[in-house]
Order: sequence, then C-alpha cells, then structure tokens
Amino acid sequence: MPLRPARAGRVGVIGHPVAKTAVVAKAVTPGPSPVAKTAVVAAAVTPGRRRRRI
Amino acid sequence: MTDTSLDLLGPVDYIVVEFPAGASNFTGEMATELVGLVDSGTIRVIDVLILTKAEDGSVEAMELSDIPDLGPLQQIEAELAELLAADDVADLAAAMDPGSTAGVLIWENLWAAPFASAARRSGGQLVADGRIPIQSIIASIEADENATSGGD
Repeated sequence: MPLRPARAGRVGVIGHPVAKTAVVAKAVTPGPSPVAKTAVVAAAVTPGRRRRRI
Repeated sequence: MTDTSLDLLGPVDYIVVEFPAGASNFTGEMATELVGLVDSGTIRVIDVLILTKAEDGSVEAMELSDIPDLGPLQQIEAELAELLAADDVADLAAAMDPGSTAGVLIWENLWAAPFASAARRSGGQLVADGRIPIQSIIASIEADENATSGGD
C-alpha cells in the first residue's frame, strides 16, 4: 500500500542509510551459560556498583 | 499531533525491529507494552511504519492505519505525526535483510523532557549522546574479568 501523500516530497529526518546493528539476542546466547552472562551484564549496571578506574 | 514547544520537546529516538521471514510470533504483547509506555507518560509515539523488503531488495512501506485490526494500537495511530518522509524509507530499510518485515517506531522520550529543559535553562547544550550496545558492556566486563584472573 502506498504511503500517505504527506510523506512525499519532504526532507527526510534519518539522512543516511541505516546500518544493521548486531542482534542483541545473539550476543547474549553464545557460551555455556547465557543466563549467567545476562546476569553479569545486569550486575554491571546495578545501581551502586562502581567499576570505573581512570 | 499535539502542540509541543521545541523547548519542551524530549529527545526523539527510533528503532527498526526486524522480523525475519517465518520468525514472527505476534501475540499482541508488543502492542500492550507499547500502549503501556504511552499511557504511563513515558513516551509519545510520533510515527510508525511497517516495511517489507523483498528478496530482490525492493521495499514496500505500509502505514499503521493500513492494518485491518489495530486493537490497542488504535489509540496510538490516532495521535501519529507522520514525521518520516518517503525518503526515509530507503534509509531505514538499508538495515533490513531481504525477505524480512520490520516495524519502524519513532518516539519522544517524555520522561527526559523536563531534565533536558532544565539543562537548557541552565545554559547547557547537548554536545553528544548515544546508546551503549549490550555487546560493548559484555566485552568490557569480560576484559575486566580476564585482567583480574590474569593477575592472580
């Protein structure tokens, strides 16, 4: 089905071809324990956990 | 679209969610969650398009209103602002694999608007923003762990 006429002839807001990002589901599934890996990520962003070393 | 002062506009984001051929499993769960975010005032949905990319790379775009039974999305469709232009379709579809269907969602982060306005009133100006991929967080944690275990 065609787009609404109001979308034609306007300047776009994206501006460039969008690159495909890595699929997150695949990133957290490799390895023997995907659940453990997800938990590690969750722990890393837990409030109060500081790991910065500058 | 409701009238919104630019000074009060929250950050606007987009996502392209791809559903590979044969992998979609629409139960209405996504619509329910999206409507929940709108109803809670967390976001305002600005635009939605459904894109289909054929095996030959050609792209067809569909308006949300073209879907026969919108269910809970009906209230969202009524408030759309049609921000995306026809030129945006090809740019967004560049991320899609041939044979897939994707939903494009543009939204305003209403939750961030008061803080952004306060920052502007305080003389601040946004010079960078972005999203940290989960993959980067995993890589950082693993590098830390490797460094720690290597030092034992």
